Amino acid sequence: MIKRTRNILAAAALLACGLGSQAYAQGVQGCILLKSTAEIAKEVVDAKGVKTVTMVPADKVVPGVEVTWTVTANNICKQPSEKVTINNAVPAHMSYVASSASGAGSDITFSLDGKTFGGPAQLTVIENGAARPAHAGEYKHVRWVFKDSLAPGATAVARFRAVLN
Amino acid sequence: MKSFRFSALSGAVALALAFSAHNAHAVGVAAGTPIDNTATVDFTVGTVTSTATSNTVQVVVAEILDVDVTPPATRTPVAPGTTGQVLSFRVDNLGNGPEAFLLVANNAVTGDAFDPVAASPAIYIDSGSAPGGTPDVFDATDVPYVPGGNDPLLIADAHVYIHLVNNIPTTVADGNLGRSTLTASARTGSGTQGTVIAGQGTAGTDAVVGVTHALDLAQGEYEVLGVTVTATKSQAVVDQFGGSHPLPGANINYTIVVNAVGTGTAATAVFADNIPAGTSYVPGTLTLNGGALTDTADGDVGAYETTPQPRVRVQLGNLLQSSGTKTIQFSVVINNTP
Repeated sequence: MIKRTRNILAAAALLACGLGSQAYAQGVQGCILLKSTAEIAKEVVDAKGVKTVTMVPADKVVPGVEVTWTVTANNICKQPSEKVTINNAVPAHMSYVASSASGAGSDITFSLDGKTFGGPAQLTVIENGAARPAHAGEYKHVRWVFKDSLAPGATAVARFRAVLN
Repeated sequence: MKSFRFSALSGAVALALAFSAHNAHAVGVAAGTPIDNTATVDFTVGTVTSTATSNTVQVVVAEILDVDVTPPATRTPVAPGTTGQVLSFRVDNLGNGPEAFLLVANNAVTGDAFDPVAASPAIYIDSGSAPGGTPDVFDATDVPYVPGGNDPLLIADAHVYIHLVNNIPTTVADGNLGRSTLTASARTGSGTQGTVIAGQGTAGTDAVVGVTHALDLAQGEYEVLGVTVTATKSQAVVDQFGGSHPLPGANINYTIVVNAVGTGTAATAVFADNIPAGTSYVPGTLTLNGGALTDTADGDVGAYETTPQPRVRVQLGNLLQSSGTKTIQFSVVINNTP
């Protein structure tokens, strides 16, 4: 099921590239190169017994481990990009870690349904007929809205952590 | 095109919700599960608004190795010299993937009064709901454990009962405790938390030793509940002349006092006493604690029997120290022709 979704996404991306080369309207499509990475903290002890924590690619993780998801948006065109908005769904089987989202120069909002976005105080869940503030672990989407334009060659960084259930 | 992409994403979200509901009672996401992430960005260049999609990053859930062994809830009461005494442990796979567990029993535990002696075989795997068996209780359907041969393979969150079978030395005393331990460890590996066993997890993923060190030990106890039953017999001769001479025709009145001493139970105790040679039972003289018992084998606990030889027999039931003294009386007459 997940694999099928990925195939559809890949097909959509390919189609976008094809159109982009033909029509001017889609010419800006390739202006931002968006890259997603997953990392986990790994403690390394050197020969002197000194512990250092480094981030390593998270290709395999166990339940309970926090994964740091980083999305970089690199403007590869010669014009600035405005209203840069990065969207990332909290991955399946994972729970967003409270206060973990960061992104310099951005307003960060969350959503439970992918439609209504707001700050933590604005998101509520109806439980037993009464509204209560949503727990961070219930957030399903994270959105970064960058306030300033992204200059040619510049890179915006959005980051959050989620724990594997 | 845009709406196409959105419908694909919402499908993935629905799937995620369904899984998280299922995982509410599980130990964690199943080992081998792939988790994908794709970000999108909306932006405007000049007057043109566009969207770009990131690469898809995939992480795979590694197998975490964790186990829990639960000791028997109660001590197993035993008597000295008894064989096939059972301690039942529960082994739980607390990991997130299927795992086989190595089982080791140890009877040389310090701090107890005696060492139980392993029966052969000494470790059995409960057969669960196998026909003819009782789940989680030691019975004939349970399977002897062979290390490396039939290590119990448990899926995530599953458990199995393991029965240790031991014999009790004859030399133990009432109230003594004897301990046995059961250790279960993940076959893939155990030890320091966080140890990575590359490529040995479910579906070729890594296995990682969890918080339990993928090894657990629990201890069960045997308690000797011994009981010693004593019977003290006394006699009084009453002759037909008012004296106490053992003449032919004189009666011998026997009194037997039975006592149980100890913390255990002498189950279904039976008192039997042969009628001495040269004498005959005097009908209707058998009593228990002063109450008359009929000579026939019937509703009451006493009887006079002629086979295999003349004797009196009293069923005393389950005797405990708290049962108190049981006094049995009967009479015989000395025969005229010995």
